[in-house]
Amino acid sequence: MKITDLLGMSLSSLFKRKARTILTCLGVVVGTLSIVVMISLGIGMKKSMMDSMSSYSSLTQVTVEQPDRYSDDGKEKSEAEMEKLYLSDELIQDFKEIPHVVDVYPVLTSSAIIKTGKYYTWAEIKGMPHDVLVKSGMKLAEGDYPKEGELSLIYGNMMITQFSNEKTNAGGYWDTGQVPDVDYMKDTMFVIFDVDNYFSAKNGSVDENGKPVKAPKKYIIPTAAYTEGGPEDYNLYAYYVYTDLDALKRVLKKEFKNSAIPDQPTKKNGKPYKQIFYNQIIIDVDNMENVTLVQQEIQSRGYRAYADAEWIQSEMKSMNIIQAVLGGIGAVALFVAAIGITNTMMMSIYERTKEIGIMKVIGCRIRDIQALFLIEAGYIGFIGGTVGIFFSYLLSAALNYLVSSSSLGQEMGFEAGMKLSVVPPWLAFAAVVFAVFIAMAAGFLPSLRAMKLSPLAAIRAE
Amino acid sequence: MSNIAIEVNDLYKIYRIGTNKVRALNGVSFKIEKGEFCCIVGTSGSGKSTLLNMMAGLEPPTKGSIVIGGEHIERKNESALVLFRQAHVGFVFQSYNLLPNMTALENVAMPLTFRGMDKTIRLAKARKMLKLVGLQKYENHRPGQMSGGQQQRVGIARALVVDPDIIFADEPTGNLDSATTMEVLKLIQSIVHEKGQTVVMVTHDNNLAAYGDKIIRISDGKIIAIEDNRANAAMNAAMGIEVGGTLAPPEAATVPDTGVQGYAPPQGMDTAGYAAPQDADTTGYAQEYVQDYTKETGNEV
Repeated sequence: MKITDLLGMSLSSLFKRKARTILTCLGVVVGTLSIVVMISLGIGMKKSMMDSMSSYSSLTQVTVEQPDRYSDDGKEKSEAEMEKLYLSDELIQDFKEIPHVVDVYPVLTSSAIIKTGKYYTWAEIKGMPHDVLVKSGMKLAEGDYPKEGELSLIYGNMMITQFSNEKTNAGGYWDTGQVPDVDYMKDTMFVIFDVDNYFSAKNGSVDENGKPVKAPKKYIIPTAAYTEGGPEDYNLYAYYVYTDLDALKRVLKKEFKNSAIPDQPTKKNGKPYKQIFYNQIIIDVDNMENVTLVQQEIQSRGYRAYADAEWIQSEMKSMNIIQAVLGGIGAVALFVAAIGITNTMMMSIYERTKEIGIMKVIGCRIRDIQALFLIEAGYIGFIGGTVGIFFSYLLSAALNYLVSSSSLGQEMGFEAGMKLSVVPPWLAFAAVVFAVFIAMAAGFLPSLRAMKLSPLAAIRAE
Repeated sequence: MSNIAIEVNDLYKIYRIGTNKVRALNGVSFKIEKGEFCCIVGTSGSGKSTLLNMMAGLEPPTKGSIVIGGEHIERKNESALVLFRQAHVGFVFQSYNLLPNMTALENVAMPLTFRGMDKTIRLAKARKMLKLVGLQKYENHRPGQMSGGQQQRVGIARALVVDPDIIFADEPTGNLDSATTMEVLKLIQSIVHEKGQTVVMVTHDNNLAAYGDKIIRISDGKIIAIEDNRANAAMNAAMGIEVGGTLAPPEAATVPDTGVQGYAPPQGMDTAGYAAPQDADTTGYAQEYVQDYTKETGNEV
C-alpha cells in the first residue's frame, strides 16, 4: 500500500470514532502538557540562574594567583621557591601552551586614593591589556575604552558608593543612602598611588630621618568611561577601576622610581625587581567543561587557581536532577495516556476484527495492517502532542504572567524579565516527537494482535 | 503451460475437538481446468467450505497438496499467501463483507489500494467494474443504503476488479432471495465466461450448482461425485429444460436408480467421453442417496 493511502485510511478510521479518538487524544494532551510544563520550569530555573551567574562572574575563566608562602599543610616555601612562582610575562607564555586555553592575560592591581571635589575613596585600579579591556564585555554607560597605552580610567558602576566626604567623614552611600554627587566625566579626578605616604603626610608623620613625610603626587587622570548600572546593580566589574596595563605600569614606575612598588615582591636585600609582577593571571578556556582540566593543570604547577565554573557546574548538576525529577513526574501522566492508547487500540481491534479479516482476504499485506494500526496510534500521539504543546505555551505564559505580576514572584526572588517557565522550540519539537513515539509504542502490541488475527476467524466474527 | 488451474491431491483436514478427531476433509483429489465454473456442492458440515478456504489459503491443510498455477499453496506462509491472493484471487462472500464505512466505489477500489495503485487509476477501474455489474448509479452509496443483491454485486465487482485468475465464492447467494440469486449467478457466469476466469463456487443448493460447468459433490469430507455439467447443460438445452433454475420440471427431480458406482468420479474427465447419465438432471440429486452414503462410510474415525 502507498504511504498516502495508509495515512488516509488510518485517519478516516480515527474520524469514524470521534468521541473515543478525542478522549484518547485528551490523555496525550494532558501527558504532553505535564511533561513540557515541568521541564520548562526546570529550563526556566536554569536559565535565570545562568543569566544571573554570568553577570557575577565569567564562566570560562580561571584566575591564577601566586600561592601563599605557607601552604595548607603548614610548610613554608623558601625564598627561591617563591621567586619561581611570581606571575611574570614568561609565565603567561607558558600558560598559553596549555591545551584548551584560548587566551591568557595579566591583571596588575594597584591600590590608590581617588579624590574629586569634597569626596575621596580608596580604590583598586586594575590594569589590563588594551585588547582584553575592549572585549571584556563590560557595558559602558558613557565614554569609551582607553586607547592603547593611554592612562585613563573606567569606573565600575558601584564605585560611586565608595566615595565619602573627606571633611565630615560622613560615610558613603551605604551609610547615608545618598549617591555622592560625582560626575566622572566632568569632574577632575585626582589619583594618588602612594597610599601609605598620603596618610602619613596627612597625619603629620615623619620618616626615618625625622623629616616630615612629603605628600605624594596627585595625578589628574581623565575618565575614559563608567559602566552601566545603578549603585546597587552588581556585576563582575562594578567595584573596580580599570585602565590600560602599560599605562598603569608606566605611571607606577614613575611614581615609585626610587622605592619598591607597594604589593610587589622584593629581592632579599630589599631592592625591587626590575620587572613588575602581576597580581593575577586570567586564563580564558574554550569551554566550560574544560575549565576544571585547565585549573588542575595550573594547580599542579604550584599556583593557586580558581574558577567559578566549579561551583556553577555542581549547581547545574543539582538543577539537572531537579529537572529530571520534574520531567519524571510529568512523564507519569504521559505513561497513563499511553496505557489509554493501548486500551483504545485494543478495543478498536476487537471492533474491527471482521474488517481486518476482510482486508486480509482481499489482499491487504500483513505489514500494511500493522502499519495501519501503528499509524493510527501515531496520529493520536501527534494530535495529542501538538495540542498539548499549544496548551503548554498557554500555561507557561500564564505562569510567567502570574509570577511577574503578583507579589508571589517577588517573594520568590524573581526579578523583572525573569521567566519561571521557558519552552524553547527544541522542547516543543521533542515533546511532539516523544508523544508520537510513545503512542506508537503503546500501539505496537495491539498492532501485532491485528497482524496475527487469522483471516478466517476474523471473517467469521460477527 | 497446462490447462489445469487448480489441482488438489489427497487433501485432509482433521480438526481436533476435545479428544475426538473430526475429519472435515478426508482425502480429496480433483482438478479444475482454466476457465471452468466449478461448483462444490454439499450439505452443511460436509467440508465444502473448508475445502474452499484451503484453496484460498485461509486455512492450512493437515495433509495433501493444493497446486494453483504451479504453486503449492500449502507451503506458503501467511504473508506469501496474501501476496498470492493479491495477485491471483478474488473472493465473494455469503455475507458480502463490504466495509460499512466506505462507499460502493471505495469498496470496489479497495483491493487495488492494497496493491499500491494510484488513486485516479483505481477509482477509474472501480467505476468501470461497478458499471459492469450495473451499479454505476450507486457508487457513492454505502453498503447500508443498498439491498442485499446490490451489495453482493458490489462484492462481485470487488472480486473482479483485480482481474483475478480464480474467483472463490462461498455461498454467494446464500443471503439473497431467489430472483436476486438468479441475477447474481448469471452475472458471475457471464462475466467470467467472457474473461475466461476460473470460478470455484461453494453452495448447498443443487439448483445453483447446476449453473456450473463442473460439479463436485462432497459429503462428510469425501468427494462422492465429479460431474461435467456442460454435456448435461447442452442436452438439457436441447430438451428445453432450464437447468439450474428453479424452473426444472418436477420429473427431473426423481431419485436416480443407479448404485454408488454410478456416481463415482468418471474415469478420465474427458468432456466428450463423459456421456450424460440417463437421469441427467442434477438438480434432482437425492437427499436419500447422501444418507445412504453416510451410513456406508460413516464419518467417525
